[in-house]
Amino acid sequence: MTAVIQTQNLSKWYGNVLGLSDVTLEIEPGITGILGPNGAGKSTFLKLITGQIKSNIGSVAIIGQPIWNNFPQFSNIGFCPEQDSFYEEMTGWQFLTSLLRLYHLPTAEITEKADKALDIVELTEDKHRSVRSYSRGMRQRLKVAQSIAHDPEIIILDEPLNGLDPLGRRKIIRLIKEYKGEGRTIVVSSHVLPEIEAMTNQIILIHQGKIFAQGDIHYIRDLIETHPHIISIKCSDPRQLAQKFIQNDFVLKVNFDLKKGTLLVETTNRDKFFGLLPSLFVENQIEVEEITSPDDNLQAVFDYLIGK
Amino acid sequence: MTIKEKGYTHWDGELQDGRFPWWPITRIGIKLTFKRKFFKFFFALTLIPALVWLVGIYVSERLEDFKFMMEGETDFLNVNPAYFKTYFTNDFLLFMVIMILVFCGAGLIADDLRHNALQLYFARPLKKRDYLTGKAAVIFFFLFIVTLVPGIVFFLFKLIFAGNFQFFTSYPWLILSVIAYSILITTFFAFYALLLSSIGKNRRYVAILIFGVYIFSDIFYAIFYGIFRSHYFSLLSIKSNLQQVGAVLFNQRTPVDIPWFYSLMVIVAICLFSGFMLKRKVRGVEIIK
Amino acid sequence: MKSTKDVFSFFFSLAKKSRKTKIFFVLSFLPVFIAFVVKFSQIFQLSRDIEGIYIFNNMIIAFYLQFLILILALFYGSSVTSEELEGKTLTYLTTRPVSKSAIIVGKYLAYTVLIIFIVTLGVVFSFLVLNLNDLLDVSLYKILFRDVAVLALGLMCYTAFFTFVGTILKRSIMFGLIFSFGWENVIQYFPGSTQKFTIVHYLKSLLPSVSRGRFSFLLFRLEPSSTGTSVFMLFLIAAVFIVLACVLFTYKEYILKD
Repeated sequence: MTAVIQTQNLSKWYGNVLGLSDVTLEIEPGITGILGPNGAGKSTFLKLITGQIKSNIGSVAIIGQPIWNNFPQFSNIGFCPEQDSFYEEMTGWQFLTSLLRLYHLPTAEITEKADKALDIVELTEDKHRSVRSYSRGMRQRLKVAQSIAHDPEIIILDEPLNGLDPLGRRKIIRLIKEYKGEGRTIVVSSHVLPEIEAMTNQIILIHQGKIFAQGDIHYIRDLIETHPHIISIKCSDPRQLAQKFIQNDFVLKVNFDLKKGTLLVETTNRDKFFGLLPSLFVENQIEVEEITSPDDNLQAVFDYLIGK
Repeated sequence: MTIKEKGYTHWDGELQDGRFPWWPITRIGIKLTFKRKFFKFFFALTLIPALVWLVGIYVSERLEDFKFMMEGETDFLNVNPAYFKTYFTNDFLLFMVIMILVFCGAGLIADDLRHNALQLYFARPLKKRDYLTGKAAVIFFFLFIVTLVPGIVFFLFKLIFAGNFQFFTSYPWLILSVIAYSILITTFFAFYALLLSSIGKNRRYVAILIFGVYIFSDIFYAIFYGIFRSHYFSLLSIKSNLQQVGAVLFNQRTPVDIPWFYSLMVIVAICLFSGFMLKRKVRGVEIIK
Repeated sequence: MKSTKDVFSFFFSLAKKSRKTKIFFVLSFLPVFIAFVVKFSQIFQLSRDIEGIYIFNNMIIAFYLQFLILILALFYGSSVTSEELEGKTLTYLTTRPVSKSAIIVGKYLAYTVLIIFIVTLGVVFSFLVLNLNDLLDVSLYKILFRDVAVLALGLMCYTAFFTFVGTILKRSIMFGLIFSFGWENVIQYFPGSTQKFTIVHYLKSLLPSVSRGRFSFLLFRLEPSSTGTSVFMLFLIAAVFIVLACVLFTYKEYILKD
């Protein structure tokens, strides 16, 4: 398959702060997830490939052409920015039709496309309300609508699921998957692994401005599976619980924090661990106060992956 | 304790007011203003008149030494209440006050409205009064530096340069005039800037309003005076009203021949109106129509 | 051209509905209020009987030329770029198939046309009220037309200048105020060629010198340029600053702060 987006040694820094460093990659049609913790460089990457900012070193090509100041390219690109900003005095309908007008389309087509986009994101009923009065989720959906309204071949979405309720998330994920079926190229960024996982297998891991890994999500998943997880349990009898845990081979280590009355368990298999936990509590009549996983976040996974 | 569902519980504690809950707002306002580009340079410029007046006080005590420089008239170096009045009511100082307001006052409320920050303020033990006091104190801080502080410095240096208390015994009320006028002008401009800052969410727009309304009021007066030849139209001018009251506070003749308390009434009315509007505009919940 | 037109209609319809425009509209209508006051006072013989056209001419200088058009041009001109950066809406424009120059020119034209319209309405109404008794005098309409044209040229020129300032400076208002009420007000009275470094010099050159009266100091020491030169210079200044704004906006990188 031909690469739609190509970057070559792409680097960007803001003063002394490194935004992105030496990124060379190719993105093909289908859904590509850009995954990384906050401040990793996801937004910088997306701004560079949409020509919002200029790279200090390297180049970006969209369908073989540079993007910076190459405005005709944007007929084919839809971009949903991260920031929650709008022309607040407009209604949702005015916002969409005004932006569609910039594609030099006839009025009838503008109306048709705006209606369709609003229908897709389920804002038809509220289209004549001022954007100012929209909820966070509605605003997010309107942002997605403006990025898809002109039927672009390439859709770039920066954290599109932010601020959406679970139902809204599911709908947007379904929409993105539908677009994939139509052979378009979709680039989605997120810092939440399950969100990306729900959309695609193809991911790019960004960390500290560098591409850390690129490829099939199962590879990352496998790495994560082998990542020993620490689980903290605050209960009435941590010693008795520890005794039961160490009989299992998926438990690597147990530790006590006697001051807090907690037990810290390190396991290589979270699923098995959590499968066993309820029966242990019941059988041994242990009262549980709190269960937490201190390193159950993307940052911890990244730290593990880069060998910190 | 076992895991159980935690519901909402009323807080039964007693809310204790801090002594100065508005102070963090003031502190951050002053800090942010100083961080603005060119502000320090500009603020230094506004102190030039104070420096010139101070030099004038020095020269007034050494007239003999500077005789070779003075040809004829030296009345303007006679340090008396008129000298103070001229400093406090001169057009340049008032213009610079407006420019300071453009820097430090425009964004005081407008920025909070823009970022929906009011609800964050009022989610803390902070009353509307504290919020407004905190914002107004930022303006007080900057305007006192160009009004009250130089006024007191002039007074003290006059005594120091003279080496006696004759100036104080001649005009014992003058220091009170300095304090009263500084408070008047600062309070008025604090209300004025806060009112305009609460009108919009855009700092640039508010900056233009702060400047525009002041200049516009003066143009209005000039046009009406040109047509009707009546000084009562000076009541339309912010500058003229402040100069009128200023002249009275320094025991001088008013610049225009109308009763000074009309001007005072206009100033007080603007402050009351601003206070009323601010009370309505500043609230923790945004009502979207 | 099509892009410019599209950007124009986008921002013209957006700006005409905005609350700020409504406030500026009210502001520009205050001279109409003054005109009514003057007319009533003349009818009821409360004031001296001054010719309507004399008051009108003075109002043009004192209120419109030296105050309102500067304020309007400063706000709208600097808004062309600044409001997109402050509102973080620039992304919506720069990810459309329109050139950055078209964004600047289209938005500049939208705002300029809007403020010319606002000012013209105020001027025309003031004129009609003040000259209620001489509405059949055709020569007066020539004055109205001339004054409207001068103000429109002023708005065109100042808005272009402030559009450029807005693209180059992050905080353009302070600079704009100093330029408008400092530079323009002071340098215009300097002798010789110095005064030609102000925009207001060319605008005042297009107006006849006013007889000495209360407002005559406003034109004091004006050494006017010819009408042709003035019009040419005003168009040139506007064109130069718009071109500079376009070039700058195209090549400058704007980073929206998160």
